[in-house]
Amino acid sequence: MDARLRRVNKEIADCKNDKSSKITIDLVDDNPFHLIGGFDGPDGTPYEGGRFQVDIVIPDNYPFQPVKMKFITKVYHPNVSSASGAICLDILKDAWSPVLTLKSTLISLQSLLCSPEPRDPQDAEVAKHYMTSKSSFEDTARYWTMVYAGGPGGKNGAGKGSQGAERDEIAMAGLDRAHVAQFEALGFERAKVIDVLRRLNYRGANVANINDDRIVEELLK
Amino acid sequence: MSSDYEISDEENEYYPYDEEDEEMADAEEDGSASEIEVDGFGGDFKVGARSERKIYEVEYSPLSQPDVERIMQADIDHISSIFGVEPSVAAILLRHLNWNKEKLIEKYMDNASAVAVAAGVELPPREPSPPPARSSSSRPATTGPQRTTRRSSSETKGSKGKRASPPIEETGPFVCPICFDDSQTEFLALMCDHKFCASCWKEYITSKVRTEAECMITCMAEGCNIAAPDPFVDKALADDRETWTRYQELLVRQFVSCIPHLKFCPYPSCTYTVSCPSAATKSSLSQIVPIVTCGASQTHVFCFGCPIDADHRPVVCAVARMWLKKCQDDSETANWIKSNTKECSKCQSTIEKNGGCNHMTCKKCKYEFCWVCMGPWTEHGTSWYSCNRYDEKASVEARDAQTRSRASLERYLHYYNRWANHEQSAKLSMELYAKTEKKMEEMQITSELTWIQVQFMKKAVDIVHKCRMTLKWTYAMAYYLAPGNHKELFEDNQRDLERAVEELSELIEAPIDPETIMTLRQKVTDKTVYVQKRNEILLEDTAKGYLEERWSWNTTVEGFEA
Repeated sequence: MDARLRRVNKEIADCKNDKSSKITIDLVDDNPFHLIGGFDGPDGTPYEGGRFQVDIVIPDNYPFQPVKMKFITKVYHPNVSSASGAICLDILKDAWSPVLTLKSTLISLQSLLCSPEPRDPQDAEVAKHYMTSKSSFEDTARYWTMVYAGGPGGKNGAGKGSQGAERDEIAMAGLDRAHVAQFEALGFERAKVIDVLRRLNYRGANVANINDDRIVEELLK
Repeated sequence: MSSDYEISDEENEYYPYDEEDEEMADAEEDGSASEIEVDGFGGDFKVGARSERKIYEVEYSPLSQPDVERIMQADIDHISSIFGVEPSVAAILLRHLNWNKEKLIEKYMDNASAVAVAAGVELPPREPSPPPARSSSSRPATTGPQRTTRRSSSETKGSKGKRASPPIEETGPFVCPICFDDSQTEFLALMCDHKFCASCWKEYITSKVRTEAECMITCMAEGCNIAAPDPFVDKALADDRETWTRYQELLVRQFVSCIPHLKFCPYPSCTYTVSCPSAATKSSLSQIVPIVTCGASQTHVFCFGCPIDADHRPVVCAVARMWLKKCQDDSETANWIKSNTKECSKCQSTIEKNGGCNHMTCKKCKYEFCWVCMGPWTEHGTSWYSCNRYDEKASVEARDAQTRSRASLERYLHYYNRWANHEQSAKLSMELYAKTEKKMEEMQITSELTWIQVQFMKKAVDIVHKCRMTLKWTYAMAYYLAPGNHKELFEDNQRDLERAVEELSELIEAPIDPETIMTLRQKVTDKTVYVQKRNEILLEDTAKGYLEERWSWNTTVEGFEA
């Protein structure tokens, strides 16, 4: 039997047998080389209570080349692209070892959620947010967990209707509602205000560093 | 001990000290000793170079892969004897520090253990249970391959028998943690004792070597930095000799890329290396044009100092690069646009006026303006076909700017056309060569001449081709030379060579007549000698000019600043 197939089958079986880690690996269309992994957000982090899904592609010369993994679930984390789900983790690149398994790699992802490395970011904007104001970053991360990963408070926390949707956008970007309202009052569209403030990292202590004129300038571009 | 070093016949110079000297512990002394050696090394290559070297030629020596391997081996043996380690360990240490022997010696004398751990030839210190037989030793232990087989577990080739690795006691079938295949019978491990089955090792190394072109192989275990020594790789690859050859090629490439006076032949699938110590530094490239030929074929001509795979004498690398970039960049398209077009003052579209009056209407934005003053047409009132609003000062400036732009374009084209012409002619001369060959055959039949006597044609074609290449690059050089006496002298030489080459070209193409063949032969031979002489004069003069720092450029050239 093909060594790669044998190994992958064994890894999937091992995962099924192990109930304690709550890590799942499922097949996508019966192809054992394209999988979906799932794990719980680690306790004591903004990701707690969420369930995160990862797209897994097994390369041809696995396990001698690293698996390709990216988040399917949107994650607000400095080392995960908020747009594509691409992951910046050394073991998925040059630090890969053939001894690592799908399960151990998923566990590594889980622990990456516990310990972000903002100095080596995948998503620079998120990393900036993290560096500027950790508590604000955590709020946003928790909010994303709630919205995308089915975290707690998802059902009754957010308001309903149009007002709720508006608040969502602001909370999603980790911005202060008052700030958005302030520039909206000048006659700019809400979406544009959110976009510019997010880009300029208008959060926490950084607010004092950014002149209002600078924001208006950006808004006018 | 110096018997492995075969490319030199000055072995005493290479190893000016004997073995006791090498054992000296003083780090400072060691540093100086290795410096002497490096000097001796450079001197070695003079032996290989031609004895009568022209001023425009550089000293270099082509090396085959086995030659380079021997040089590597000499370094490895040297380090191995100084540090008292296995050659395979010395090789890993050298690779780890990019073959910088001085740095390695210095660092190793400073903290041998740290270097060995970083290079992956020694296990990092562990607090609770130190591994047996190694904890007290400060120097790296041998890393000979450790092969454990269920049938025989005492096969440790390459280690000096010092290794006291106990035979692995098998309790139940060992399952390789990578392939989970319990039918495997052969297991291999590096000094870190991370055991994997032989077929996984083979797959792993093949994947590293083949797909990643990686020659630094480490243990497969997660976070384990222990490096695989060559004998281990050899053993693990077993019968896959192709990958083993590739691995050795990669090692040579890594070595060559680390040593400044070595360069790999850029021709496809060529495995030769050229050593050119005189062109090893960047600063030397403003003084010499290091054109070299590798040992595999006379046609593998390339520049040691830059990526141009051709003879670009007489221009130095920096100028040749600038010229090629200029020709490639299409920067002259911009020049043309500048001298032939204007921009719509509203939407900035480029407009070429190809007739009609000065009342322009931009096709794109429908803006109406005056071609002469570029102002809006509405302000012109009734002065339809002439512009009297024209500002005097602005007009002079605009005209000047246009003339300047045109002049620089024309200047460039002057040089470019001649450059391209010589390139074209050189190509044609290759076709001419085919014709000449036929002619030579004819001559053998129609005249009394023997084969050796008709060779003058071949020689003439070769020289024409070579000189056209020189001429081609002289135009690149002239384009950047600052005006002055030196440039005039240079252009005189260029003209003389050009005239001679054209005359010779004409002679070669002349029809062959059995009656006149003897006179033709005389003429061609004479002309060939003359052309060759002129080419040498030009090359010698420019080469001397670089050494005397006589040339000055009309622009900033890398290496000529200050």
